[in-house]
Amino acid sequence: MKIDTWFGTIETGRAGEIQEARLLSKDIRELALHSLSLRDSRSDLPPEGFDLKAAAFDCGFAESPAEYYFLLHEVTLEAAKLQVSGALTPDQRIIQAVEALDDINETTNALSERLSEWYGGYFPESGLGGEDLALFIVKYGSRENVGPEAPLYSKARNSMGAKLESADEALLKGFAESVCSLYERRRQIEAYIENSMELIAPNLKLIAGPMLGARLISLAGSLGKLAEFPSSTVQVIGASKALFKHLRSRAPSPKHGIIYSHPLINTAPWWVRGKVARAVASKLSLAARIDFYSGEKDLSLTEKLEAKFLQIRTSNPRPPQKRQESGAKPKKKRRK
Amino acid sequence: MPEVKKLSDGIFEVVKDKKQLATKNLEPGKTVYGEKLIPVEGIEYRTWDPRRSKLGAMVLKKFNIPLKEDSKVLYLGAASGTTVSHVSDIVSEGEVYAVEFAPRSMRDLIGLASRRKNIHPILADAGKPDSYSHLVEPIDVIFQDVAQPNQAEIAARNAVRFLKKDGYLLLSIKARSIDTAANPKEVFKEEIRKLEQAFEPRFEILNAKDLKPYHEDHLGVLAKLR
Ligand SMILES: C[S@@+](CC[C@H](N)C(=O)[O-])C[C@H]1O[C@@H](n2cnc3c(N)ncnc32)[C@H](O)[C@@H]1O
Repeated sequence: MKIDTWFGTIETGRAGEIQEARLLSKDIRELALHSLSLRDSRSDLPPEGFDLKAAAFDCGFAESPAEYYFLLHEVTLEAAKLQVSGALTPDQRIIQAVEALDDINETTNALSERLSEWYGGYFPESGLGGEDLALFIVKYGSRENVGPEAPLYSKARNSMGAKLESADEALLKGFAESVCSLYERRRQIEAYIENSMELIAPNLKLIAGPMLGARLISLAGSLGKLAEFPSSTVQVIGASKALFKHLRSRAPSPKHGIIYSHPLINTAPWWVRGKVARAVASKLSLAARIDFYSGEKDLSLTEKLEAKFLQIRTSNPRPPQKRQESGAKPKKKRRK
Repeated sequence: MPEVKKLSDGIFEVVKDKKQLATKNLEPGKTVYGEKLIPVEGIEYRTWDPRRSKLGAMVLKKFNIPLKEDSKVLYLGAASGTTVSHVSDIVSEGEVYAVEFAPRSMRDLIGLASRRKNIHPILADAGKPDSYSHLVEPIDVIFQDVAQPNQAEIAARNAVRFLKKDGYLLLSIKARSIDTAANPKEVFKEEIRKLEQAFEPRFEILNAKDLKPYHEDHLGVLAKLR
């Protein structure tokens, strides 16, 4: 009987005695790679209850338990390290970037609000917010420094805001600089995601756009998993998170997955939105599969999606009549 | 001077201000997850928080812990190694095969294992013991804390491959990982039934207790092969 072990292959006879052994050298890296290569093997597994350590002594691989365990320890450690470093595949890096982006957005919004609240006491009429306000504060500090050439000059002069003392001004400027650098960091991460998406999921990027595509990968867990999902699942990805939130904290119940932020879907009139969402989901799912299995960019995907979209639009030009009975009457009139 | 009482092999109760569960630190001077170090007569003890460890809770719930100084342990669901580190203390002359399938947790476990020679980390799915059968020797104690719906089956598959005839299974069953809605008592009963008869090998249950107040809706189980 042939048996594969982490230290080599052995042949045993009827009574379990070792007849032959092909041992590997005691090179940790080589042993680790060999061990990893055995993970998926279906044949020549050690039989139930097989004593690997005893076999290692019998065939002369190790001379003492201490040596056996020392080598085993180094090999498992090395193999685990190889696996973990391999686990940071390009799609995992995109996922990290998407999560970092979410964190940065959250922080940026909170700090921006704080800044505008704070500076509002000194120049409430500025009408600026977000990055514009932060840049303004970095540049001028107190509104008294706004020169006649600047567009906000007259507002600044006539402002009812309080006077900004120099200690407060220094503080606010520093704070505003941090906010600016967060906006900068955000652009950097977005650019990173955009580039990486082009490399690892060009078709998904084509159909979904880089950010939606990256979010789909992130929510699915990997490009491989996204490619395995049926398109009906793709359609609700992102809703389940909201669903758990809804169950736990009575947040509003989710209706749609994140693909509803896709421009074709969110600009479609309400009565075809479901149909359009299905069409988009099916193309997204196809795109993810092509990206995962072949990686060739297929420009015809967008054309096909647009053709499908037109067909849905032309065959449903008007809202259906008996909407009332279904109880799903739209509250507001939608655009278009 | 803190007072030390031995609860079972390698497991102690140290009294310093209050009673605390502890193991002898295999790596003196080092902590793993922010636990306290208490030196007593030249020996350093590491406190063991039962709220962060199902095994720790099982000790306090008076389970017979079958771990010995030289036990070979297969630990399924090692996570980042909180409990593994205590098992490694307890079996100071033994071996811990630590299986975990989340790469993120494995990163921490690798850090722990590179400092502790008796921990052998394995990144694999505990539901597929074939994938690590070329690494693991016959085992005295399987400890399993994977929080998976098919945990009884996972235990059986590993036991059939690796557990010695006179070995033991220590298992933590989380009701919510099996059925989020059902009554935990019902879930536990069903899991015990599965351990007793659904798979080969069958287990004989030696003890089964709720891990309250340390863990909600968790059942600790000690079993051996029938
Ligand atoms: C509750 S935690 C274990 C905590 C750990 N026993 C401790 O006390 O420090 C469960 C762990 O099992 C892992 N896990 C779940 N299913 C698994 C499987 N099929 N194979 C390996 N690990 C698994 C999870 O990734 C998680 O880290």
